[in-house]
Amino acid sequence: MYLLVILAPLLGALSSGLFGRKLGEKGAGVFTSACLLLVLSWSTLIFYETTINCSATFLKLWRWLDSDLLTTFIGFQFDHITATMLIVVAAVSSFVHIFSTAYMAGDPHLPRFMSYLSLFTFFMLLLVSSDNYPQLFIGWEGVGLCSYLLINFWITRIEANKAAIKAMLVNRVGDIGLVLAMFAVWGAYGSLDFSTVFVATEGTSTGHTATLIGLLLFIGAVGKSAQLGLHTWLPDAMEGPTPVSALIHAATMVTAGVFLLIRSAPLLEQTPLSLMIVTVVGSLTAFFAATIGLVQNDLKKVIAYSTCSQLGYMVVACGISNYSISLFHLMNHAFFKALLFLSAGSVIHAVADEQDMRRMGGLISSTPFTFTMVAIGSLALMGTPFLAGFYSKDLILELTYDQHYLAFAHWLILFSALLTAFYSIRLLYCTFIASSKSKKDVFVNAHEGSWNLTLPLVFLAIGSIFVGYLTKECIWSYEATLPAIVPLFIKLLPVLFSFFGALSSLIIFHLALSDYQLITRGGYQAAYTFLQSAWQFNYIINNFLVKIIWATGHIITYRATDKGSLEIIGPRGLSGSAIELTRRLSNLQSGKIFNYALIILIGVGAYIIGTVGTVYL
Amino acid sequence: MYYNFSLVSLFLLLLGLMGIILNRGHLIIMLMSIELILLAASFLFLINSIASDILVGQFFTILILTVAAAESAIGLGILVAYYRIKGTIAVKSLNWLRG
Repeated sequence: MYLLVILAPLLGALSSGLFGRKLGEKGAGVFTSACLLLVLSWSTLIFYETTINCSATFLKLWRWLDSDLLTTFIGFQFDHITATMLIVVAAVSSFVHIFSTAYMAGDPHLPRFMSYLSLFTFFMLLLVSSDNYPQLFIGWEGVGLCSYLLINFWITRIEANKAAIKAMLVNRVGDIGLVLAMFAVWGAYGSLDFSTVFVATEGTSTGHTATLIGLLLFIGAVGKSAQLGLHTWLPDAMEGPTPVSALIHAATMVTAGVFLLIRSAPLLEQTPLSLMIVTVVGSLTAFFAATIGLVQNDLKKVIAYSTCSQLGYMVVACGISNYSISLFHLMNHAFFKALLFLSAGSVIHAVADEQDMRRMGGLISSTPFTFTMVAIGSLALMGTPFLAGFYSKDLILELTYDQHYLAFAHWLILFSALLTAFYSIRLLYCTFIASSKSKKDVFVNAHEGSWNLTLPLVFLAIGSIFVGYLTKECIWSYEATLPAIVPLFIKLLPVLFSFFGALSSLIIFHLALSDYQLITRGGYQAAYTFLQSAWQFNYIINNFLVKIIWATGHIITYRATDKGSLEIIGPRGLSGSAIELTRRLSNLQSGKIFNYALIILIGVGAYIIGTVGTVYL
Repeated sequence: MYYNFSLVSLFLLLLGLMGIILNRGHLIIMLMSIELILLAASFLFLINSIASDILVGQFFTILILTVAAAESAIGLGILVAYYRIKGTIAVKSLNWLRG
């Protein structure tokens, strides 16, 4: 059962990918979804066994990398962290599979799509269940690859191609960090197995090595989890179909970076410096992404920046050493973010593939079900009491307040909680409640999807409501988390802030102070443009980094080195000089007899002088 | 005593070589220069034969004369054949085969 959890999605992917033509559109959808539902049920059993019954399972299969200095097995480790991740991945993935059969219906390449989705799930499961770093890296690269394939699913769109390449390349930057971290771990401990390395860290690690390992691991997490600096790929990845955004860029792939931090907790615990940097970057990401989310007009981009922001919360939780809380937030976030994305898909489906919020509105009357789902997801995201987000997000806020010199992170993410509420309600209001700005036929024809479009939403909504309450203690159980001793006022503050944000959003948008009328005013316009263009990160990176590297590549590497000096020394220069030499030599043979006679005479003379000279000297 | 004679033969040899090298005129001059070289060689053989009192040099002289005669005959034959095709025997025009 444990191995089948890993292999079932691979089976689905292979059969749908290789025999999709035989299975047909419907068959591919049903088969892959059935595989994923099996995985979900087994994952639930594994969660019961490993987390509730506290019995972790280890499977060692065969030797993989085998040399004198390094032995790595193909092995699986099912413990608390893996079990939680399994639930998250399997649940979100299976609902996304079912959702895709409706959302992507009519697409001529549906079997390919389902195959990629299942392959992604396989790699993600491999990532979370491996018991050593190299095998984790297989999954790590595999999800990157599947992300590329899925963003680029509509291969004829140039924007999709560019976004996919960007996702792949920006992820590679982080992957280099992970590879270097693996080298550093191997250099320090001589092994890459989690069990060996984590036991070895206790007391043996020296300061600098530990800091180096921690920072390199964090670079890996920054790339995958879209933290500040390497986050630019995540909003662009919205070019893929909506279920892809839900699966990859909300619930699973981006959480791989956080998972790496959680898994490497014993390594990170050795270095206070790394933890401080983790906290700083995480809180900045949370704040920065939340401000950008305020003004995005693309339905999916709002949710994408919200994902980025929530990942910042998880990273902050890791940075203050509350890894279990980070995992808990990861789980809750996966449920409500997948719900939000799939509901966004439902909205987009209802309004004939329109993604711009400025051309929506008034959908509450035609699609009340979707409205309910978005409302549940948004409320859970805002941390409304007794929904999923409340249990984890507020806990992170309280625990951050408790940190002495890192308490500034508390204020940053507290303010971003306000902003989160603001843009969630803005999304809700502009899409559903405000008067409609869509075309008449689109508005009239807006409708709910078929059962397999709506059913996943129901399950995810149930998850968003209950999962935080139900699992709130069994998930932290693996790491003792003491409740923070903070004043009651601080405990109430997040909820108050959220309600304040939500209320101000409602008031601003309801009293016709819509941002479109204010755009023309000076200071507001500057701020709006600044936020709309995502703090100009793309501009800065493109102009000051990519362009320079590109120009360097063209001028120095290509023109000066490859086609320049190497060409002159190498092929062209060498052959040219040989040809020139032989041309001059053959010019000696002029065809004129007296020249030949002179040459012969010189030659004989030289011979005589040579022989006589050697005799007499 | 024979020093002057050998100097003469050396001078003749150089004269023949110069005749070949500096010759821009007819092929016949070239042939004549070759004859001159051979004669200079024969002369040197003879002088050395007398100087060292060994008869071999004179054998060789007779041989060289024979060879020179044959060579002149063949050379002139080639020259005539060449003249029939080309219509001229200028050395300058003899440059068909270039490298």
